[in-house]
Amino acid sequence: MANKILIVAKREYLERVRSRTFLIFTLVIPIFITGVTLLPLYIAARSGASNDVRHIAILDATGAGLGDAVARALVNDSSVARIPGDTVAPRVVNVTPADLPAREQATADEVKLPNHITGYLVLTDSTLAGKSARYAGRNASTIGDMDKLRSVVRQAVIVERLQREGVREDIVSNLSTGSFRLLSERLTERGRGGSGQAGFFAGLGIGLLLFMSIVFHGQNIMRGVLEEKTSRVAEVVISSIKPESLLAGKVIGVGGVGLTQQIAWFGISAYLMNFLGPIILKGATKGAAAAANPGASAAIGNSFGGMALSVIAVALMFFVLGFVFYASLYAAVGAMVNSEQEAQQAAIPVMLLLISTWIMVQTILVNPNSKLAIALTWLPWSSPIIVPLRMGLTTVSPIVIAGSALVAALGCVFSVWLSARIYRVGMLMYGKKPSFAELAKWIRYA
Amino acid sequence: MSDLAIDIRNVVKRYDQHVAVRDLSLQVPRGSVYGLLGPNGAGKTTTIRMILDIILPDAGSISIFGRPNTDPGILNNVGYLPEERGLYKKMQVRRVLLFLAELKGIGPSEAAKRIDQWLERFSLTTDRNWGDARVDELSRGMQQKVQFIATLLHDPDLVILDEPFSGLDPINAQALKDAVLELKQRGKTVIFSTHVMDNAEKMCDSVCIIARGEKVLDGSVASVKHADGTRNVALVLGGGARNGVTEVLRDPQFVRKCDDTNNYFELELAPNADAQLLLRRLIDAGANIEKFELMQPSLHQIFIKRVGASGVETGMSGHG
Repeated sequence: MANKILIVAKREYLERVRSRTFLIFTLVIPIFITGVTLLPLYIAARSGASNDVRHIAILDATGAGLGDAVARALVNDSSVARIPGDTVAPRVVNVTPADLPAREQATADEVKLPNHITGYLVLTDSTLAGKSARYAGRNASTIGDMDKLRSVVRQAVIVERLQREGVREDIVSNLSTGSFRLLSERLTERGRGGSGQAGFFAGLGIGLLLFMSIVFHGQNIMRGVLEEKTSRVAEVVISSIKPESLLAGKVIGVGGVGLTQQIAWFGISAYLMNFLGPIILKGATKGAAAAANPGASAAIGNSFGGMALSVIAVALMFFVLGFVFYASLYAAVGAMVNSEQEAQQAAIPVMLLLISTWIMVQTILVNPNSKLAIALTWLPWSSPIIVPLRMGLTTVSPIVIAGSALVAALGCVFSVWLSARIYRVGMLMYGKKPSFAELAKWIRYA
Repeated sequence: MSDLAIDIRNVVKRYDQHVAVRDLSLQVPRGSVYGLLGPNGAGKTTTIRMILDIILPDAGSISIFGRPNTDPGILNNVGYLPEERGLYKKMQVRRVLLFLAELKGIGPSEAAKRIDQWLERFSLTTDRNWGDARVDELSRGMQQKVQFIATLLHDPDLVILDEPFSGLDPINAQALKDAVLELKQRGKTVIFSTHVMDNAEKMCDSVCIIARGEKVLDGSVASVKHADGTRNVALVLGGGARNGVTEVLRDPQFVRKCDDTNNYFELELAPNADAQLLLRRLIDAGANIEKFELMQPSLHQIFIKRVGASGVETGMSGHG
């Protein structure tokens, strides 16, 4: 009989792996996940100031040398992206308030020429008074550039005014040039390790992959069962193999497909995030990524690559448990109904179990040690997603992991037992969808 | 080895609202072609499914070739063509057949060889090699052939066909009859269920008529006809019946019932009546006999007589 289970598993596995859908999903999902993870960072990095802010003219009508201070700050600011080898600095033009309109016009014309300056900054008495400065240029709508200019000018004004108030120059420059960074590090019972962001991304990634995989392959198995039933091939098959064995073979075969896909997803995602992540971010910020967004790219890079093998192993184990639990329920649903529409409806209770778990993921991401998180660790329908997720975010003791796996395994035994009974009767029942009372009867009589 | 291909003893199957099979016992001799006859809803499919261990009887026992049908591997020697036919639509024909053969314990290389032979035999390789096509690319007729191949691919000693003629065109129906006769010649046992008595009468060695889940009668076709006791005479008289002849035809010692259609008479003989004596009396009475044929009742007549219109219980499941 074991041999026949393997024959069924082989068919389920090969027929699915051969399909084009499998190939597409296996490749597209990691690209998608990498994309949604990297895109916000890419945008954030993009929104930092670009090298363009150095390609400007500064029309200084303050007479206080404020323009030189701003130019110096822009050149030295390490958070402004720099194209290697580009040594350009802002051109400072000291003008009198009377000359300003004419010089402004001339500079504006220069901006309009190709390959000249990007724009010009006008500093006046109003600037010195801490009120306003003006900027005109091609990058006027680039938020990162404008933020940078505003902060640099503000800084220069503060320095200038502090000096006027008689504060010692070295104190002022010390205050104005120091940049402030918040460095975060994950601290657990086992000691320091990885950055906080790395754990977050790893946890979220694993949770998402497990959830999607269970939903996708669970529904897949349901459709497979339904197809066998509606195409009436089921009767020939179960004249050769017990329905329980057929169900077992299906779960193993489709589970194998899921496992193959999981491994491919982990592998491809890890590759993309490890190697492409930093490259994409670098490209986005032209080299200033690390400075503009301290730790972020490193966090992404490490999130999968730096993840402990034990976490991956536990994640795969919980995938198997979660898959068996949900797949057998989905198979039972497939055996109960007669059409795709009925199946969608009958699958709602199963889907609710899954979705309710997924909704909790948001909360657990914020606080992976909350009472809710601990409760969900011990429920067989949520632990397969929650435990690997929590392992990415915090430290879960091996005893808890083992205990939770045991509970999940018991849950699997129950769901397989229940499903096998529904399956056995349902596969040969055509006609209307059973009511709950009829379903209870099937389970009792099977 | 037992002489019986199938031995069913006192089998009962109850469903919620009704009894599908009621204390059914039947024996199928090895090497015979056996007809399981009955109206729709009589319990034919339920019986067949119990033989195949697809559903469990509530009581009674079933053996195949002398071993309980629950013995591991025993069903590998059985080929089954269900009434509701179907194959994996999206799968390649060759792979479906390989899968079903492997489930019956045939190794992949042996199965591949047989698949080629069968596809050729059913001319599924003539215009193109349909073995490499997907099942849903095949016409209905071709799908039926593939299904039939799947039933026989593992060369079973017992073949069970549930309503095999339903949905077959005359050409495929003839091919099926030929195939069944060939199986018989090779010493295989074939059981088929049908409610078309003509097919059963021509093909079967033995039959069992069931109705309302109960056996009405069973045995060899000859013994069933003999046991029925009804003997009919087809009589054609040139120039109609004269006075003396009419008297003979009305004699209750000879004739129980006489249907008269001008010159054609269908007589049901009285029990123990001697047909030869009747013939002599008719000649003596001056009848101009053009035809005098002693006929056994057809299975159809027996079926109608024994089962009747009431044999079909209304409101029963459609599974036979």
